[in-house]
Amino acid sequence: MLKVENVVKAFGSLTVLDGVSLAVHPGEVVTILGSSGSGKSTLIRCINGIETLDGGHITVDDFDVSKPRELAEARKRSGTVFQLFNLYPHMTALSNITLAPIEVLKRPRAEVEAEGRALLASVGLADKIDVYPAQLSGGQRQRVGICRALAMKPRYLLLDEVTSALDPEMTSEVLDILAKLAREGTTMVFVTHEIEFARRISHRIVFLEKGKLITDLATAEFFSAEGGLALPRVAQFLSKMQKA
Amino acid sequence: MRYADFTPYDLVLLAQGLGVTLWVFLVTTAIGLVIGLAWGIIRFYRVPLATPAIDFVSEFLKNSPVLVQLFLVYFGVPGLMHVDMTPVFAATITLSANTAAFIYVIVVSAIESVGRDQIEAARAFGLSRWQVLRHIIAPQAIAFSAGPLTALLVNQLQVTSLISVIGVMDLAKIGANLNLRTLKPFVVWTVVGALYYVAAKLVALAGARIEARLRAHAVFRGL
Ligand SMILES: Nc1ncnc2c1ncn2[C@@H]1O[C@H](COP(=O)(O)OP(=O)(O)OP(=O)(O)O)[C@@H](O)[C@H]1O
Ligand SMILES: [Mg+2]
Repeated sequence: MLKVENVVKAFGSLTVLDGVSLAVHPGEVVTILGSSGSGKSTLIRCINGIETLDGGHITVDDFDVSKPRELAEARKRSGTVFQLFNLYPHMTALSNITLAPIEVLKRPRAEVEAEGRALLASVGLADKIDVYPAQLSGGQRQRVGICRALAMKPRYLLLDEVTSALDPEMTSEVLDILAKLAREGTTMVFVTHEIEFARRISHRIVFLEKGKLITDLATAEFFSAEGGLALPRVAQFLSKMQKA
Repeated sequence: MRYADFTPYDLVLLAQGLGVTLWVFLVTTAIGLVIGLAWGIIRFYRVPLATPAIDFVSEFLKNSPVLVQLFLVYFGVPGLMHVDMTPVFAATITLSANTAAFIYVIVVSAIESVGRDQIEAARAFGLSRWQVLRHIIAPQAIAFSAGPLTALLVNQLQVTSLISVIGVMDLAKIGANLNLRTLKPFVVWTVVGALYYVAAKLVALAGARIEARLRAHAVFRGL
């Protein structure tokens, strides 16, 4: 289980996460919604240990990300896909994927490379194995980004607005892959502005507002009149997103 | 043949001088590279106290004349610490430290040239700081620094001529001696200048070769 308990994170005098609690069970797809600046990315960055916490605890399968010794184990269990891909520009698509399994999991190169090729093939990039990120389209880069996370066989996939830098066609390329992963039972923490897609694939939806998690509801309930829509901020957010 | 005439043996002397210059250049470059790199890595690891100390030393070395540093080491240190100091030893210490200070600057900017987002990604996947340095930063930083490093080394090669002042028998010192004997400064300094030029050109060519190879290997934009 991925557990976020009472997490507080501040940048100077700005409190970005203000007592956030969230539990994600294996097999669940949990979507995090919230307007820009509400702290969604910061929450993801706290889970993968990029940011340090100012309060509370985050554990990934009981490994505490705030303890340096446990962070390494926690990081083996989560894999992040980034909004701006964050690929390693000096490495081929395949090397981007195999670096962490070889260096962190200490797995044999040949085995990891075979898996990497299969992963790339599964997202339609069989012919791009030896290509550098700069030679790929945005959608292709993000598919490599997804493969890079999957190559670690993470128990939890963290996705931070992975399609917001992509045009609609490339977005659907990437969303199709995520939908397939969801069907296969991949556990995901999914930050997105793709409301309709989130509605289709997620089990639960949580809503962040100014660093506070104001709802945590099953998807159907979130979109029902007496559930999420009963909250003015959520209703307002959804109507704004649907207009856009 | 008069005492002031050029003799074939002068060529041997010039060759020896060139040898000393190149030897001092190569040795001090190697030492400077190791020290400058080590300083850059210490800074990367944000070692407390060490980084400000390195910055202070490096600032001093960059912002005071090499000649002054040379005098300080050759004349100042033996008096202060009661040790013997040979010209070659003083030259080696001074030039190594000076080169290290400039290489440190190049290393720091090369490390900082690598995008934070990739480093964060690698960290999020569990790579240690050392693994990030080795697999993400180093390959890109080396390609980034090849140009500035070549420019620095071409300059440091010329700077070695200062060591003639404390009596090291390098190319400049041989030139000075030859000039005193023959009283033909135009000929002597043209020949000496040409030898420095050829040596510098070789350094620049080698640097360009290495840079081209590093970049050909990495067929990606953004560097
Ligand atoms: N390193 C930082 N230093 C200072 N402030 C920061 C830092 N990172 C984030 N913030 C601030 O924290 C707040 C939350 O940022 P965050 O990126 O988590 O928002 P978000 O919900 O992901 O927004 P978006 O939907 O636009 O991606 C913002 O006000 C942002 O300016
Ligand atoms: Mg964000």
